[in-house]
Amino acid sequence: MNIKRGLKEIYQNPSLPSFLILVGIITVNAILQPTFFTYRAFKLNFLTFTPLILVSIAQAIIIIVGGVDLSIGASISLLTVLMASIMKDSFSSIILTVVCAFGLALLISLFNGFFISYIEAPPLLVTYGTWIILFGIALFIMPTPGGHIPKPFYQAYRGDVLHIIPVPVLILIIALLIWFVISKLRIYKHIYAVGGNAEAARASGINVSLTKLKAFLLSGIFVALAAVCVVSQTATGDARCGLGYTLNSVAASIIGGISFSGGKGSVAGAMMGGLILGLLVNVLYFANITSFYQEFMKGLILVVSLTIGVIPKLRGERSTV
Amino acid sequence: MHNAGSNAILSKIFLKNVLSNRLFVAIVAVFLLFVFGEIIFPGFMSFTHIVSVLRLSVFLGIVALGQALVVISGGIDLSVGSLLSLGVVFSAYFLRGENINIPETLVIVPLIGFTIGLISGVGISYIGIPPLIMTLAMASVIGGTSLIITKGFPTGNAPPLLETIGSGKIFNIPYLILLWGVIIAIVTLILKRTKWGNILYGVGANSLTAELSGINTKRFRMYIYGICGAISAFAGLLLLSYTGTPYLNLGAPYIMPSIAAVVIGGVSLAGGSGDYLGVATGCIFLTILTSILVALQTTEAVRQIVYGSLILILVVAHARRGRE
Repeated sequence: MNIKRGLKEIYQNPSLPSFLILVGIITVNAILQPTFFTYRAFKLNFLTFTPLILVSIAQAIIIIVGGVDLSIGASISLLTVLMASIMKDSFSSIILTVVCAFGLALLISLFNGFFISYIEAPPLLVTYGTWIILFGIALFIMPTPGGHIPKPFYQAYRGDVLHIIPVPVLILIIALLIWFVISKLRIYKHIYAVGGNAEAARASGINVSLTKLKAFLLSGIFVALAAVCVVSQTATGDARCGLGYTLNSVAASIIGGISFSGGKGSVAGAMMGGLILGLLVNVLYFANITSFYQEFMKGLILVVSLTIGVIPKLRGERSTV
Repeated sequence: MHNAGSNAILSKIFLKNVLSNRLFVAIVAVFLLFVFGEIIFPGFMSFTHIVSVLRLSVFLGIVALGQALVVISGGIDLSVGSLLSLGVVFSAYFLRGENINIPETLVIVPLIGFTIGLISGVGISYIGIPPLIMTLAMASVIGGTSLIITKGFPTGNAPPLLETIGSGKIFNIPYLILLWGVIIAIVTLILKRTKWGNILYGVGANSLTAELSGINTKRFRMYIYGICGAISAFAGLLLLSYTGTPYLNLGAPYIMPSIAAVVIGGVSLAGGSGDYLGVATGCIFLTILTSILVALQTTEAVRQIVYGSLILILVVAHARRGRE
């Protein structure tokens, strides 16, 4: 009886499909890449996976509160451009630049959050507008990729802690800790309540607009963190480098079991979704697919994974009827 | 005294009615923009320049037609740009510079667009993926398809007859503008006078009511994306007639303006309202704006910022109106 109930709970967990996909994709990856389970490959993989996983957290928060943020990719571009153009070699300059990046990320969140919470404009269209504006500003500052990133800064990202934890993994652990702290706060429950049913949340005394604004600000922290990782990974500022993250982060969230209608799913699921997408690109690379097919394959993977991601939702909806 | 007061109220109501007529506002905006251009660049309002602006508006006008149908039905399509690019590539590929290939291309290219649009439609209507996300993902599939087919270098070119249509004139008026005029008339008739047009507005305004009155709204929505795909691909064919030789990514600059034009033209982003004449005016407005920005020698960056701000302003204005 208990086993039956336990099995039922596992079956109904929104993260189950993504977990199964993760196991499958790791298996395929391990077959195609013989060195997959070595420390070196583990480290190299997370160098590229970490930014998307962080962006997926940022996107997940917004989707859970009932919105979506299309400007995330352009934000990352703009932040890398900003960092690459003002960072100098001194330690104090590096710290100051990173602080500036976090400040700008929060400012962008405030901008989006204001229009969505207080003007009550649709999130999709507001963030579509800001996407174009932010991309324009990034392009204005840096028409071609460039800028200067000090060596100690980008080498730190390639380093290890205690010889067993790569820095990108450490950053993910820190991100998880931040989210763990947030989940103990009142805002966490408010975000789910507002995303699930804004009217009911308002009736029970929650300040809906303020909760949405706070969700955007929380998301901004993870966007800034992701931008720091992207700029350390590439060591340049590039107005186009972030654009792909928008769609990928939405896909990662949906693959991770987050419902597009809001209020459902977990940030951990979105992280798993981001990891799955990273591993899929890895598989494409090791399967020796020529560059002409890569854009097509990436798009196809997105469409297929969006489709798969929506299926458990359908299952859930049917069971309630 | 009393009479003057009621007159003031009447004129106020009249003013409010005129200002809330989006088509009228759009036409005034177009005129003001032309005057603004004339002030900065004398000759901006000359006949030849107005004609050349109108001709450039045609391509945006056709793409925006597909977009408008989708938006009226309550959705949005971000794959129109990549569909147009694919239309250019496929048209050149099938035409191979021969007049004799025009009929088959006229059938095949829109059919390809229709099929691809239908895939988006299935994802949106039957699987339940949000339109913006589904079409954004499809855009990357379609862009990838263009790359695979051409291996980075599109081949073929427009045949002489098509080039004549693309760049020819009659009584100093380009064929393209005449073609657009005919399309505007036909589309307006279809939207306002046919049952299909009624259904389109019904589905967009209130899906549930449409469903209850016996319309298969899911299937209808799916086909709308197919139609938008066909129109976008056809726009690619027209664009090829103008450029003569194909290039990759010709459609990218049309995605944002197609949405902006629809909104400027008075189509509600919530669906269910608007007409094509307004959208066409919106297209002309944006083309003049771009032409002024280019003449001012602004960079791509500044143009993006202007477009983005324009979309944001429209969205906010719309949100305010919606609440009133």
